[in-house]
Amino acid sequence: MAISASYNNNSRNNKNSADKQTLASMAAFKFPLVLSISLILLSFVPRVQGNTALVWSFWGAAATLLLWQAYLLFNSKNKNEEHVFSVVLRPQHYIQAMVQFSVYAYWGYYWRPVYDHAWLMLAQLLFAYTFDMLLAWSRRREYSLGFGPFPIIFSINLFLWFRDDWFYMQFVMIAVGFMGKEYVRWNRDGRSSHIFNPSAFALGLFSLILIATNTTGLTWGQDIASTLTLAPNIYTFLFLAGLIVMYFFSITLVASMAAITLFGVSALYSASTGVPYFLDSEIPAAVFLGLHLLITDPSTSPRTPLGKAFFGVLYGLGVFGLYTLLGAMGEPTFYDKLLVVPLLNLSVIAIDRAVRSIHSTAFLNVWKESWLGGHANLAHMSIWIVIFASMSFLGKTDNKHQGDSLPFWEQACASNLSNACGRLLQLEATYCADNAAWACNEIGAYYREGIITESNQELSMAYFSRGCELKFQAACLNLLDTELVAREVPHELDLRLLLREGGQNLMTLSEQELVERACEHDWAFACENNGA
Amino acid sequence: MSKPQSATEAKPQSKQEDQRKNPDREQVPDRAVGLTIMCLAIVFVAVWMALQSPQQIDSKTTELSSRAQASITGFLANAWFLPDEPLLGFVHIPAGPFTMGSNPALDRLAYENERWSSSRRQGTVQIDDFYIGLFEVTAAQFRVFVAEYPDLANEVPVDIQGDMPITNVTWPEALAYARWLQQKLENSSDTPEELRSYLAAGGQVSIPSEAEWEKAARGVDGRIFPWGNTPRAELANYGSSTMLAVGSRSCAECAFGLQDMSGNVWEITRSPFQAYPYNPNNDAENLSEDALWVMRGGSFSDGAGNVRAAVRGGVDPSVRNNTIGFRVVISKP
Repeated sequence: MAISASYNNNSRNNKNSADKQTLASMAAFKFPLVLSISLILLSFVPRVQGNTALVWSFWGAAATLLLWQAYLLFNSKNKNEEHVFSVVLRPQHYIQAMVQFSVYAYWGYYWRPVYDHAWLMLAQLLFAYTFDMLLAWSRRREYSLGFGPFPIIFSINLFLWFRDDWFYMQFVMIAVGFMGKEYVRWNRDGRSSHIFNPSAFALGLFSLILIATNTTGLTWGQDIASTLTLAPNIYTFLFLAGLIVMYFFSITLVASMAAITLFGVSALYSASTGVPYFLDSEIPAAVFLGLHLLITDPSTSPRTPLGKAFFGVLYGLGVFGLYTLLGAMGEPTFYDKLLVVPLLNLSVIAIDRAVRSIHSTAFLNVWKESWLGGHANLAHMSIWIVIFASMSFLGKTDNKHQGDSLPFWEQACASNLSNACGRLLQLEATYCADNAAWACNEIGAYYREGIITESNQELSMAYFSRGCELKFQAACLNLLDTELVAREVPHELDLRLLLREGGQNLMTLSEQELVERACEHDWAFACENNGA
Repeated sequence: MSKPQSATEAKPQSKQEDQRKNPDREQVPDRAVGLTIMCLAIVFVAVWMALQSPQQIDSKTTELSSRAQASITGFLANAWFLPDEPLLGFVHIPAGPFTMGSNPALDRLAYENERWSSSRRQGTVQIDDFYIGLFEVTAAQFRVFVAEYPDLANEVPVDIQGDMPITNVTWPEALAYARWLQQKLENSSDTPEELRSYLAAGGQVSIPSEAEWEKAARGVDGRIFPWGNTPRAELANYGSSTMLAVGSRSCAECAFGLQDMSGNVWEITRSPFQAYPYNPNNDAENLSEDALWVMRGGSFSDGAGNVRAAVRGGVDPSVRNNTIGFRVVISKP
């Protein structure tokens, strides 16, 4: 049967559809079949062939999909069922996808693993389309073929990828996301709708599992969270990209209130304790990304404007609280932005119900409809633009951040400022992991001395070993003599890492510029050298 | 009570109305099956992930432990595969002076960095007594250590014949092995009394300083090779294409009876690579320089010139190389 021969105009789901056609019966099966075969073919590209586990992941995913198709095909022949799909192109899908794609393009330019990941994203898209389609047909539902899977896959991959050896989990994560959308539903305003944002559901659930099983190392999560800032002016980029989504889908209140809340509580914390709340920025870039592209799904956020604003505030507070909680538990803090979303999704009905009890249309809409000719969203956007511009002007976005300076944390720790020693250790551990030998020696020394943290000889030896392997002589001496605590100022290569301020390592900076920058960071030895 | 309605609110639909619009909705399979499958998938993921790390570590540990238990002639499986010798293969080197460095007048193969100073060709160094391993540390010995630290197995290829010298070990890993062996020797009732007393008196298991190494290699009579002043290929593995099991080239006439001090594998020391004159107390100087450590003895792939007792090589502490291994000492710092 020729595919083109069986189009009809069944219009069961025709709301929001710009272009809707339906493909009926057996011919429809050709589509998932082609996608599954494409997934198999994709396993032959060099990027995938380089890892056996990855190849098997692709084949396993494709085999599952093919078996599922065979089962559905067998059933439809026996029961004379008809499986159809219609082409439905929704702007909230393709505009969101385009914005997300632009983030990948920009970020990947500065952090190449993103581009290396492109084949794997394509595989996930093939899998997602097929899975979603078969799921719809299994539920005897018409499948709406559009760009729906794009924002889900793009959104998941902006926050979490499994490493190649465990990539099969990525397929499982996507499957769980789609199943959550299909099966975890409630009746909202008289209509059955999914409770959780599919990507946030999968991310939240897998984050919990990764934390509980202490297997974060199987993913690129930490790297993803910390490499966004390698792209210069990433906050401004995300802000501008976010404006597009805000303009088209009126999510300004959610995103801006989340950002304003986080900026606000961070500033309050900083003012009361003397140290920044987040290590290297007022709002971590990955959180800023999340509040633009992860929590703004209209179908899983409140419907009332005041509800949206409240939703944003709760996200900000949730991230703020989880950051401390995860840190206190010794877990990676980058999960903060992921864990809070499913909880918020669960609260949308309660939020809407609460705000509807307010007997003031103006308050409920956060803005009087009559103002600005009813263009409330534009008004909200204008305010957000002013606020972001002010924050940028005050150096709270892309500029140098107080928390970037290690001497600041050393001083803060010496002055016993709240949590400063913990942050110092955290920061040095990050730099050590990035091969800054000085940081390895310092953190090893702290664990040996047992002054700012509990003494841990095994850990100190591990850090000294790493520092020594990075040719830091003091670290080698500390390894040789367990009574010694030898220290030394950072070497040139260390400075190229320690002074990067969340951006790229400063490999091309001249030695003189490095010293000047070190002095700006309050490194005493650098200021002395500079003066000399 | 009337609710205020915003322009953005969706109008609620009644269930009946919804069903009227979607007459086939009741035919849709129940969600319970799908939900069950989803929950099972989640449980599977959780259990599988929980098994990942421990499983890998356990299987690696088991594999290494079982391999470590295989017996090797001449070594004690119940004593961390140390040699079956009176002092577990440790040889006592008495205190006293020895000649360090090379005299080009006597040794035509000497390198410039073996010269003591601008005014002197050789120096005399006094060191305390110490114990040094009869052989280089073997793969079997290192496997017992790695079995307790399985992450190391990803880095160090221990899957070689048990009596071969262990190679591809970084400087910190060699030190880590020495620290581990110290704990074992201190805590074992099978440790010979002589070693036990020495350890109790402050002896530490480590890798040798270059002075300790050179004294052990050339003895106190200033010989060029461990056995004398002329190259003898039958007493050491050099100028060949392959590494040999430790002690394969037996050398009874070598200083202190030590084996493979020349050739087989380079042996890393705990001395920083600095110009002579040798000073045992200057290790904390030059912290701003990149670390570089002395290695001694040459390897199977070197010629006679590089397996002389006074030859000094430099090695970066992170280097892994299949011609570089190590030997342990027990000495008092």
